[in-house]
Amino acid sequence: MSQSNKPAAPTGRVLNIQRYCSHDGPGIRTNVFLKGCSLRCKWCGNPESIRKNPELSYDPRTCTGKKACGLCLQPPFPDGAFYVVEGEDDKVRVNWDLAGDCDDATVALCPTGALSMFGKTMTVDEVLDEVEKDSSFYRNSGGGMTLSGGECLLQPDFSAALLAGAHERGFNTAIETACNVPWSFVEKVLPHVDTVLHDHKLTIPERHKKWTGVGNERILANFKKAYETFPDIDFIARTPLIPGVNADEEHIRAVLAFIRPHKNVIDYELLPYHRFGLGKYEHLGKVYELDDYKTPSDEVVQRLQAIIDEAFGRIAEAAGAR
Amino acid sequence: MSTDIGQSSSPKRIAINVGAGFVPGINAAVMGAALAAGKLGWELVGIRDGFDGLLHPERYPDGGLLSLGPRLIDNLDPAGAGVLGQSSRVDPFHVRTVDADGMVEEVDMSDALLQRLKVEEIDALISVFGGQGLSILYKLQRKGLNAVCIPRAIENDVAATLVSFGFNSALSFTIEMLDKARQSAQSARKIAVVEVLGAQAGWLALQAGIAACADAVLIPEIPCDLQALAASLKQRVTGRRPYGLVVVAEGAKLVETAQARADKPAEHALKASLSPLATGEASEHVIQRSGQAAETVANRLQLLIAEETFPLVLGPWTRGGVATAVDRQLGLAYGAGAIRALNAGNSGVMVAFVPPDIKFVPLAQAINKVRTVPADSEFIQTARSLGICLGREQS
Repeated sequence: MSQSNKPAAPTGRVLNIQRYCSHDGPGIRTNVFLKGCSLRCKWCGNPESIRKNPELSYDPRTCTGKKACGLCLQPPFPDGAFYVVEGEDDKVRVNWDLAGDCDDATVALCPTGALSMFGKTMTVDEVLDEVEKDSSFYRNSGGGMTLSGGECLLQPDFSAALLAGAHERGFNTAIETACNVPWSFVEKVLPHVDTVLHDHKLTIPERHKKWTGVGNERILANFKKAYETFPDIDFIARTPLIPGVNADEEHIRAVLAFIRPHKNVIDYELLPYHRFGLGKYEHLGKVYELDDYKTPSDEVVQRLQAIIDEAFGRIAEAAGAR
Repeated sequence: MSTDIGQSSSPKRIAINVGAGFVPGINAAVMGAALAAGKLGWELVGIRDGFDGLLHPERYPDGGLLSLGPRLIDNLDPAGAGVLGQSSRVDPFHVRTVDADGMVEEVDMSDALLQRLKVEEIDALISVFGGQGLSILYKLQRKGLNAVCIPRAIENDVAATLVSFGFNSALSFTIEMLDKARQSAQSARKIAVVEVLGAQAGWLALQAGIAACADAVLIPEIPCDLQALAASLKQRVTGRRPYGLVVVAEGAKLVETAQARADKPAEHALKASLSPLATGEASEHVIQRSGQAAETVANRLQLLIAEETFPLVLGPWTRGGVATAVDRQLGLAYGAGAIRALNAGNSGVMVAFVPPDIKFVPLAQAINKVRTVPADSEFIQTARSLGICLGREQS
């Protein structure tokens, strides 16, 4: 076969590659965040991952203003995309409705880096070469590569190729998913995965729709089918714990009732809600809808964690350790 | 769908819609446009819930369009706001949808919107919009839509018009609440620090503060030196008058010295809890989150003076209620003005009140500007003449 007839390696939309992670699968890991999500969780901590295509980001802290620079106020930047308000503060402001035509080439003209793009297209080898830089850590810790997002299953061909490639290079593989995708996407990716970290956000379909944009019927069906179809994969359920939304005993017990019959669901983790993503919303010109929500108290987290520990038979271990 | 909307004998079919967020008295603008259109023999139809009535007609028994004929208009309450409903999102370029695979995404439906207007034989659109809505209307106009904007803004920050629809109702309500806050402060012998709307412009805080005879008014345009504010309050709050009223716009800024910051680690913690973007240049602490301004100022002020302070936040309360006489008149005038603009062949314009006239300003001149309080504003001078501290010593 000639070189030109070889099928092109799949490319994907990558948001970020984050090294030295330790909470998203076994050992020390490199997390690869992919662009695009099929949910719209109001508490999302990674708003820059939601849209599938690259998008503009603006950090006013590094903008030097109209007098010192002002480059973005003229062509080739889109007409009306940037402006300055009269007054002492001459930092540029963004008209997010008119700035949609900005691309890598235009934002590269910003000399201070105040303008940048979230996301870029990469090949499988480009990603894996970056991941390979920490291969010695993976070997010593049992770690590897975790695909996250966004929703990594939204790019099934790219994700499958990345995970298969990681296995070929000897890395452990994991994915973080909410599984709101067609089953055909799931079954394409999961054969290349060692650990699946999957979200149980809300139990009641109507409430799931209210807080994430869609009901959870298909998500739960995918989870159940995945547990049964891939018995050798370790599944770890997770819940982003948000007071007033799902930080209640009823939800935790409902999730436990769903996962406990399946022996390959090896754990259930609580992820206390945080507000770390707030600044990113402002960089994207988006409104953070959970502005008034607070992190759950230690008492609430411990009480709910105790229910999980009991269900997984860890109470005795904890008592013994004391 | 761009057509010559100018003076012609043929009757026109005009649509009207309203942007996101409640503003008292929107019915008045609808009535103004309907009455003026009827006088020309034109038909006015209302689009329900922003653009939803056009984009999702299947959701509405009447197809999403409401005929605004004489019978309905005669029975409409001009002080109300509900005739066309509300939508939390009014952006046809990013319509949140769930596709056939059950996945959420934002879809550009602007072409579908223009097509629907064409199918409905609508010649032009009047939008009661403010803020982001102006940019959206500008984009639609660039795609060929005959559009006229009626400016609405609780904070009166839309450029190129002296006053936006809705501001006066918000102002009246804010004054009423400030009066009550002052009475509460008087009985408690404390200083009430009241946060009012105004992320970028301080019109509401300044005008309401003057009307309520506040002791101090902090607006985004004048970064506040807390030491100067404390010194002013020490003079005004005395044994004979042991209470005070400080009005803070939600976008107020504080100027801090490096020493002051170093002396107050607790305040660093507060700052750290805010967005990284909340810290501006030149040692200005920009309070950008609604509901935080009053608490921040009250807490810091209490460290500098003997009196106790207590924060209050008006916030979204300001948006409700019924329209004032001024907004009813303004709504009717803007509605009629929008029809006059179309009849005169104008498109892509915003109706503006430039005393003593109603004028038509190109949308391009209204977007990307914020109508802030200028340093030489008559209201600034009035406040200073009344002894109201504006957070910084007069230079």
